[in-house]
Amino acid sequence: MSAKPTSKARSGQSQAESIEAFSDAEEARATGLLQILDENGVTHGPVPALSAADLVRMYEGMVRGRLLDEHLLTMQRQGRIGMYLDARGQEAGVIAAAHALATDDYFVPALREGSAALYRGLPLRAYLAQMLGNVNDPAHGRQMPGQVGSRASHHVIGSSSVASQMPHATGLAWAARMRGERSVVVGFVGDGGTSEDDFQSGLNFAAVFKAPVVFVCQNNQWAISTPLSTQTAAASIAIKGLAFGVPSTRVDGNDVLALYAAIKAAIDRARAGDGPSFIESVTYRLGTHGPTDDPKRYRDPTEAAAWQNKDPLLRFGIWLHGQGILTVDAQTATRQRIDDEIRAAITAEEAAGPPSMTSLFDDVLAEPTWILSEQRAEYLRVRKRRNP
Amino acid sequence: MAYEFRLPDIGEGMAEGEIVRWLVKQGDVLTQDQPMVEIMTDKATVEIATPRAGRVLQCCFKEGERCPVGEVLVIIDTASDASRTPGPAAPTPLPTPLPAPVAHAPTPRPETVLATPAVRKLAREMDVALTGVRGTGPGGQITADDVRTAKVSAGLVAPTPRPTVTGDVRIPFRGVRRKIAEHMLRTQREVAQFTYMEEVDATELVELRSKAEARLSSHDVRLSYLPFFIRATVDALKKQPQLNSYLDEKAGEIVQRHEYNIGLAAQTPEGLMVPVIRHADKRSLLELAREVERLATAARTGRVSPSDLGGSTFTITSLGALGGLSATPIINYPEVAILAVHKIAKRPAVVDDRIVIREIMNVSLSVDHRMVDGHDAAMFVAEIKASLETPGLLFLESR
Repeated sequence: MSAKPTSKARSGQSQAESIEAFSDAEEARATGLLQILDENGVTHGPVPALSAADLVRMYEGMVRGRLLDEHLLTMQRQGRIGMYLDARGQEAGVIAAAHALATDDYFVPALREGSAALYRGLPLRAYLAQMLGNVNDPAHGRQMPGQVGSRASHHVIGSSSVASQMPHATGLAWAARMRGERSVVVGFVGDGGTSEDDFQSGLNFAAVFKAPVVFVCQNNQWAISTPLSTQTAAASIAIKGLAFGVPSTRVDGNDVLALYAAIKAAIDRARAGDGPSFIESVTYRLGTHGPTDDPKRYRDPTEAAAWQNKDPLLRFGIWLHGQGILTVDAQTATRQRIDDEIRAAITAEEAAGPPSMTSLFDDVLAEPTWILSEQRAEYLRVRKRRNP
Repeated sequence: MAYEFRLPDIGEGMAEGEIVRWLVKQGDVLTQDQPMVEIMTDKATVEIATPRAGRVLQCCFKEGERCPVGEVLVIIDTASDASRTPGPAAPTPLPTPLPAPVAHAPTPRPETVLATPAVRKLAREMDVALTGVRGTGPGGQITADDVRTAKVSAGLVAPTPRPTVTGDVRIPFRGVRRKIAEHMLRTQREVAQFTYMEEVDATELVELRSKAEARLSSHDVRLSYLPFFIRATVDALKKQPQLNSYLDEKAGEIVQRHEYNIGLAAQTPEGLMVPVIRHADKRSLLELAREVERLATAARTGRVSPSDLGGSTFTITSLGALGGLSATPIINYPEVAILAVHKIAKRPAVVDDRIVIREIMNVSLSVDHRMVDGHDAAMFVAEIKASLETPGLLFLESR
């Protein structure tokens, strides 16, 4: 680090006793708000170098996430899928991170980052098969809908334990470094997760061992019904990272350009061997926490309405139109095309039907033990007797 | 083709949903995924959209009624799908909902009502038709409670709203109101309740509070009498733990709680609610005052958070200045006691054989006589009386 502070010496302490912690510039980065694209679709400061094709792809990725959310939420209410947690309003952070990662890098999701797997190559039908838990789902419905994983896309299967992603991401990154690989890991966590032990453990270990990992906190203001004001007394979430010696940046979480710039810089830094970074993405959960949650019971409706105006898709769409990269008409056509893709994929995967009952035995061990084989035979015998 | 939409389990293990509002009516033509009904579960109110396009043949439940999971909620004629959306074909022979892998016990059909002979006898005596009762017992069996609940619902809910010529106001009996009714009735049904009343000389308490409030004028909290009552109650509960307990009938044990979570009966725009001061024994009087104020504001504005409800071990009900002389408060089941505190007023009293003016307040304690003997109830009230008459005692063990 460059210029070292004097302002951090607390009054009452002599200069000789005080230690150098972090600079005013570092503190400003962790408590300010990095923004490139404001809610009116106007840019401030340099726009990251992204080709028109890249920008269109990112827009499509965000739209795909939004439309999938709408379809899957409806399907959950209809009893067609068991459970669903949506990411409406939080698409920018997911897609910015997915775009910034290289193919060999890893994505460790918290619980609303499934569209990153799609963005990095997971086929839409495989994604929906997981939601339905049908015969095409490799886990045959034995993982919570939405906690999708993809070995091919380096998208780690979701873990429902809050903040467990932090040590997972750190371990994955550290392992990659030990093996001499150049891959970097992005790990997601929510604002509630930052109160968990795993948050501390993950950050601390990564900082001490310079693991090539980037932590992104999707601060959506609500941990189910716990607001940020009772979640932490810290000035920001990003500032927590400084205590661990991790460069930390607070970013407008609905600004895909700022998020991309911050995450890309952090990934480059990690790949260069300079250790972890922490990014707080200040966003908002427009919907519910999950199917059994009802924000009307604890949230001021005007709050969500105000955040609707800061919608990440809205401002990105305005800017893309203004830049002549994707006109409003083209955006409408894009939405229609993606919606058609989604509808067709849902129809196809619903028609595939549930996994076979024998998968209960077949999925346990690669080579079944005699007990399993006997149970399987017994099941088939009973079934035949009941449905001759 | 008539498609039957059955209410799915849209929560985590929900058993039924209450129909809050129909967004469609018989005869309406629906497009796929058009919202059709608002359902309230234990946890949330949600909108359900139709998975099929078509014309509504029948909405099987009325607003305010409760639809069990797996029952037919709405029937849609998919053949008359006039508004089929162009483009992607509607999902043709979808298994919706997916067939259950193994045949579970089906929801009992009217002709195969499951009930024991004793329950059938009870139903005959109470004039309840078992075919209309939903069983909550194992395998959908109808229990004696189900019959009683059905009787109560039939008595309280008007079956068909008659045309009003008299100008009577008819208010749907559902939501919070019905929850309150069910809860109160449960206490009346299951608890052997008696009420014990006592007079308290609150003169010293009145003086102490006015002095304390004068000192606190710079603080941002209003010090009512309630924190004192809570503290006196907690102290008395520590000495009479059988009043801070509940009956675990399954285990055949009386559970004396180690926590002191004091529920405060409060009027909210939606009706009676009982927000809870958790760990009241670990809070100072001022901390209690702040918590009381926070919960009172939440109650007044109708924004009591679910996390502030439930889990109380003892309840206090206070109507403040309205307070009355005495009452027979109904226990907040499964607790075993509830304390009502009444208004403080100047009244003549005999002190050292002279009639003097004192600040007098009454308290009424209802207890579950199954768990609490009359002697213990009297001792408990005597403890509270002693603390409030000499409020300095409240600070002996204060935290």
